[in-house]
Amino acid sequence: MTPGAALDQLVRRVSAQVRRRRVEHYALRGFFWASLPAVVLLALKGPLGPRAVLAAGALPLAGALLGAAWGALKQTSPADAARLADRAFGLEDRVATALEWAERPDRTPLVDTLVADATERVERLQPRQIVRRILPREAHFLPLPLVVALALTLAPALPLPSPRLPDFMGSSQEEEKDTRTGSGLLEERSKPEARERLRPPAFEEREFQARSGASTASTAGDLSAVFKDTSLSSQRPDFNSFLKRGDERLKLLEQVDRLPDLASDFTTSQYKMVFRKSKALAGGLRPDQISPQKLKELLEEMERLGRKGGNWSGEVGEGMEALEGGQTDRAMEAMQKALDKMRAQEEAQRSGKGLRGGRDSERGGASRDRRGGEGGGEGEDFGEGEGLLPGKGRSASPKGEASRRLSATPYDVGVEGESRRGRKDGYDTNMTGRGGPMASRLHYLGVIGQYRKLMEDAITREAVPRDYHSQIKDYFQALDER
Amino acid sequence: MTDDGRVREFVTAFETLRAEVEKVIVGHREIINHVLIGMFAGGHVLLEGVPGLGKTLLVKTLSESLELSFSRVQFTPDLMPADIIGTNIIVEDADGRKHFQFQQGPLFAHVVLADEINRATPKTQSALLEGMQEASVTVGGVSRPLPAPFFVLATQNPIEMEGTYPLPEAQLDRFLLKLRVRYPAIEELNAIIDRTTQSRQVVVERVMSGAKVLGYRELIREVPVAAHVRDFASGIVMATHPQWADAPDVTRRFVRYGASPRGAQALILGAKVRALAEGRYNVSADDLKALVAPALRHRVILNFEGEAEGIDVDTLLGQIVDNVEASTAQAREPFVR
Repeated sequence: MTPGAALDQLVRRVSAQVRRRRVEHYALRGFFWASLPAVVLLALKGPLGPRAVLAAGALPLAGALLGAAWGALKQTSPADAARLADRAFGLEDRVATALEWAERPDRTPLVDTLVADATERVERLQPRQIVRRILPREAHFLPLPLVVALALTLAPALPLPSPRLPDFMGSSQEEEKDTRTGSGLLEERSKPEARERLRPPAFEEREFQARSGASTASTAGDLSAVFKDTSLSSQRPDFNSFLKRGDERLKLLEQVDRLPDLASDFTTSQYKMVFRKSKALAGGLRPDQISPQKLKELLEEMERLGRKGGNWSGEVGEGMEALEGGQTDRAMEAMQKALDKMRAQEEAQRSGKGLRGGRDSERGGASRDRRGGEGGGEGEDFGEGEGLLPGKGRSASPKGEASRRLSATPYDVGVEGESRRGRKDGYDTNMTGRGGPMASRLHYLGVIGQYRKLMEDAITREAVPRDYHSQIKDYFQALDER
Repeated sequence: MTDDGRVREFVTAFETLRAEVEKVIVGHREIINHVLIGMFAGGHVLLEGVPGLGKTLLVKTLSESLELSFSRVQFTPDLMPADIIGTNIIVEDADGRKHFQFQQGPLFAHVVLADEINRATPKTQSALLEGMQEASVTVGGVSRPLPAPFFVLATQNPIEMEGTYPLPEAQLDRFLLKLRVRYPAIEELNAIIDRTTQSRQVVVERVMSGAKVLGYRELIREVPVAAHVRDFASGIVMATHPQWADAPDVTRRFVRYGASPRGAQALILGAKVRALAEGRYNVSADDLKALVAPALRHRVILNFEGEAEGIDVDTLLGQIVDNVEASTAQAREPFVR
């Protein structure tokens, strides 16, 4: 035997062992993965019949065969096999080095000695299995599908649910009709249903005119109101689709941030709705860039709203005429006038409503009655001369009566503000709400002395520029004079 | 002589030389092996250890067992470069004419013992640089070759830092191996006591000539290295670099600078000598693993975190080797690839 032949034979032997292990390895993997659909087939043996059992038996075998074929086809490089042999027989990289260097043109004289040495050692080796078996991870879980498959084979066919569930909403057409008519002042623009289906349920395209009137029939917990502004409002509720979680309503409800705030007056104000639509329509465009079709639709909407007691029909008419004459800018002006009128009318209505009742009047009703109707309005809890300034007011208690103070919760105080442009940009804030006009509880004369002392300490200790000292002192002097 | 015969002769020479050294030095088998590996690989060796462990004695014994010239330089802070390289001096000839003549320093020897090298100033330390790298020195614009084989064995004390000048990285890199001389075991200590406190005189014989050493150096370079073993060596060296994409976490965390290409050369050359000394005609991965610490420990510079945590470079290198071994194809079963 030539020196190289012994090494080649060893490499071939090791390669064959590797191939055998690969066949085992991939056959097990194939068997496992194919057994999973086999289990499914067995579960469906009721509807599929006895063929399912046959197919379930054949599937794992086919998977194992495919895996085995894959493992057999994978190639093992001679260098890998040689390294494996070196490690397994403790040959200290002799075989791998000899095989690699035997073919090299720059081989040194020592290589021949190395090949001879390696061959001699290889010939002395006893052939044995050197490639250990590595079970795939899948092999550990293999009993599971096998047991399930066995149980399914022996057990009677599983009762499966019928593919179509009964329609629990048989009379949904009538319900839908009732819901729509029951919404009182709510007016839905009738649209072809097919068109609605095509449109995505995007809130940007809400039809705001559908919320006519200051009051709506929406009540707390009435989720149907959520979908009123979407194309879903015209769809018939289908219980089956809810069960399958395929209903658009469910998907919409999951998008919490996109749900409208039913409590806000956004949905209750005609003006705001139309104003937003007009703003969205204009969108920073010049009048000649605005779509006449959309402008017309908006004007028509305003006209419809105006028929229910609005006084902006004239402006809307003007706008329509201008639009027909191709004067978009005039139409926009007319629309703006109509909007102004709408707002004025709404504000008038709101002030009237405030007089009639509401949360504030309900809460303050009892005390008003007790006091014989004196005072009223927003400032009634803090009547002039009462309460917080010592020595003032008619009450014996310098801070006012406890019950009335309690009713002025701090949550009734808000802050509003607006940015101020100038040499230095700033932000002016004012207290609002019932607590707004409350006088400060801090005793000015009591603290001004402390602040002056702190100021004097600060300008002596801190690195305040000398030029500023006099200005700071002048400022405190001016406060004293006040 | 056949190649097989050359290798057998080398193995015998190696063992004979080691046996001669072991006549004097008790224990330290691994240190002696590595010193011989450094010498046959054509490099220089730095011995680090506390005083009294026999570093100087080892080098002296080695030089006595070789038919080579030997000089010893005791490095001190006032040692000047000219003191070790040599200098031009004015001499008067028979005619009474005066001229400059180069007076060779102790560096002009085959085996140079630079004792306590870290006690000399950096200026003097750097005087060794050219000699160690180029095997020649330049004095007065004239380059003078050093005798071949030229072999520097330096020692340094790791604990006494007062009045020392730690070797700069550039100079450390020129040492093929850095060996740590450990304290002997109790049996070895007893043997040392017996051997050194009795009247028996040990005679060290000269067993190898300089020409033989040079011949073996040629033989060693013929030892083949398989591609996967070479890749393993370069993988280890690259894994000491924190900037390398596949560097292990320990390297990224504790290492500032990794080993230079000289480190890879040292690893392969040392592994070749080791393989041949064991009568093997090829380098194996085990040879590399055995030489990782002596070849790379002085080439890996720890960062602040590594210094602060007291990381041992040898331990770090062990982790790097494990990591590289696990990540290379060597560790993986070929049939699942």
